[in-house]
Amino acid sequence: MVNVDKLKEIARETISRDDVKYLIGWRQGTYGFRAAPYFMSTPEEAEELIFSPLCTNNLATYLTLAEKLPVPRGQEPDSRKVALLVKGCDSRAVVQQLVEQGISRERVLVIGCPCRGVIDQKKVEAKFPDVREAVSAVWDGDTVVFNLPGGSVAVPRQEVLAGKCLTCRYPNPVIADVTVWEEVAVWGSDDYVDVRELEAGSPQQRWGFWEEKFASCMRCYSCRNVCPMCYCEDCVLDRLNPQWIMRSVNTAENTAFHLARAFHLAGRCIECGECERVCPVDIPLMKLNRKLTKEVRDKYAYEPGVDPEAKPLQASYRPDDKEDFIL
Amino acid sequence: MSTEFEPNVVAFLCNWCSYAGADLAGTSRTHYPSNLNVIRVMCSGRVNPLYVVNALQQGADGVLVSGCHPGDCHYMEGNFYARRRFTLLRELLEYVGVEPGRFNMSWVSASEGAKWKDVVGEVTKKAKEAGPFKQFRRAKINW
Amino acid sequence: MDMKKVRKEKFADFLATLAEQKLYAPQKVGESLRFAPVTDSGKVELEMSNTTVPPKSVFFPQTETLYRYEVGNTEIQQPAMGGVDIVLGVRPCDARAQVIVDSLFGWDYNDPYYQERRKATVVGLACNKPCVNCFCLSLGGGPASTVGLDLLMTDLGDAYLLQPLTEKGEKLLALAGETVETAAAGDREAAESLHGQAEQMITRKVETAGVAEKLPGLWEHSLWQETANSCLGCGICTFLCPTCHCFDIQDEVEGLEGRRCRMWDSCMFKEYTLHASGHNPRPTRRERTRNRINHKYSYFVQKFGHTACVGCGRCINYCPVNIDLVEILRQVKEAL
Repeated sequence: MVNVDKLKEIARETISRDDVKYLIGWRQGTYGFRAAPYFMSTPEEAEELIFSPLCTNNLATYLTLAEKLPVPRGQEPDSRKVALLVKGCDSRAVVQQLVEQGISRERVLVIGCPCRGVIDQKKVEAKFPDVREAVSAVWDGDTVVFNLPGGSVAVPRQEVLAGKCLTCRYPNPVIADVTVWEEVAVWGSDDYVDVRELEAGSPQQRWGFWEEKFASCMRCYSCRNVCPMCYCEDCVLDRLNPQWIMRSVNTAENTAFHLARAFHLAGRCIECGECERVCPVDIPLMKLNRKLTKEVRDKYAYEPGVDPEAKPLQASYRPDDKEDFIL
Repeated sequence: MSTEFEPNVVAFLCNWCSYAGADLAGTSRTHYPSNLNVIRVMCSGRVNPLYVVNALQQGADGVLVSGCHPGDCHYMEGNFYARRRFTLLRELLEYVGVEPGRFNMSWVSASEGAKWKDVVGEVTKKAKEAGPFKQFRRAKINW
Repeated sequence: MDMKKVRKEKFADFLATLAEQKLYAPQKVGESLRFAPVTDSGKVELEMSNTTVPPKSVFFPQTETLYRYEVGNTEIQQPAMGGVDIVLGVRPCDARAQVIVDSLFGWDYNDPYYQERRKATVVGLACNKPCVNCFCLSLGGGPASTVGLDLLMTDLGDAYLLQPLTEKGEKLLALAGETVETAAAGDREAAESLHGQAEQMITRKVETAGVAEKLPGLWEHSLWQETANSCLGCGICTFLCPTCHCFDIQDEVEGLEGRRCRMWDSCMFKEYTLHASGHNPRPTRRERTRNRINHKYSYFVQKFGHTACVGCGRCINYCPVNIDLVEILRQVKEAL
């Protein structure tokens, strides 16, 4: 059972440790059904910590997002750990970062929170429009209870959970130094129905599906920045020489951008769905990512972010890999 | 006057096998379609998937990546990595609506001038069937 | 000036009278709303809270050619300018924002590309139902503010009340001919009562007095680090901001010809301030976040005398990590 008091207790202990720089968790947002990432460096701050169906943000992003500035001469680099709370999906990002050696194990302290699914804000806002006040939420059996200003309302979780949670196969963290409460039962399975639907169409139909969506992209790069797996120091999208993808916004460049982004996640995407959640123009990015996840699973029986000892998919090979299309 | 559509195919050939194979086809005076624009790279494993996307953007109607047969790579394993990479890229391109047949890959060794002829014939035929590439060709919008 | 109204069943005919001109209105592009050229009046979407992308994208397109060139020709070719006659369905906050952007594009250099488009007639649409994060009242605006508008429309349920504000607005109504009718006696009162109700619905407030003077003293304050901790460094807040106007100029060359174009840039991006030497004066998200707030509430005020924010609430609505401008301003006010 989710026990936030116990979580706060563990958080306080963790932050008090000398070898921990800060703890990253969630707190209630400033309005509506939002939660915000929360950086705690003193034990008192843990009081505001929450863990609820609102905690959508994948905090593993912040492990690689923090800027690495040069250490001034004569000073030692800060070698303290970063502690963070992870849901099942977030923990896969941590594992994949470890696999790719993007982070080192001794620098992170993972506090696992088995999760029963987080909300899709758009679905909830459609159900309860125009809620200005900050609304908290809790899991209760097969429902999510929202403490709205006019009283609590229970909603079946099928109706408000994010799509990724309805097909989630990893609700329990796959890596954790501490797991806060007992594991939850896996309720989801994934047969990539959405991907198969699109695959069934003709090339013209598929392009018809994507063209306007890509054209509407503003290239704000929120999908890249929020992605825990997009952590290149020098991103191909930012380079001017060579500039593979021009910065002008039109269908051709946007498509090249989305192909590059999706392809760079081939065999790496851990399906936390953050890219799709943050997109201001609602491009169904997971439909693109999940195509590659599906191919990676079918062709190479590989699942990223599950085994910390695995090798990255595209940095390894088997001599007998399928090659039926090669002439 | 109607002229048949002649596709523009960009071919990335590895220095050690496929380029030599194409060379052999040439020195053997083999006749094959002239739609290919060859770009020599050191290894098929050196081809960045963005090159393929970029070629399509800049006017290619088809793209070919060709390397040594598996096990014969000059760098031992470059083509194995290329194989995984381009298998996935091909799936992705088709998924967003690029016609199958625009992107091809082949293994052609230095001694396979005859195979090279067949590969070029096949790739050109497929690109011709798919027609001019329009989807995300760099159009001069607002130019 | 005489008020008119257009019944909703005649709205398509009303739009048809404007068909000769280049008309932009909110439409669904992909999965979200933005201003786009009207080809089919059925696609115009006015029953909305506001567009995701503000109408600045019409006056100041995300990518715009400044000139073209080719090898072997020393002449540059300029693209056709203008191309916008009417922008319809602009919310009052966005219209005010455009006036703020005007001060930038008409300041030390009169930007011809921008100014040519600004000649367009702007038809506003009063807000009957502001969104939860609107705080336009705190910044001198309101759900029926007329600043920067030539004509204000108010949704009366079965009709739109059309209130001309300038000569351009009058001209547009003259074109409309038979599709509009003279407003009835009660229509004006009905509209005013709707405007009043809308004002009541705006609950978010910021106290802007003194912020511009206070910000320079908070340069090293911890609030910037605290805010920037969760910032992703993406461009949502700036690209969707109706007053953000930063751009980059790049050359795009293909074969023997090329173009010089400008495109939106965002101060939240790392490479925005990156020097060719590799030095970056705003090396982390802390400095970038600080710059965004300072630019809107301090630098712009110093230069042009007003804040570069209209309280449309987009940056709050769309921020993926709930960085809340109202909250930051509250912290600025409270900071010592």
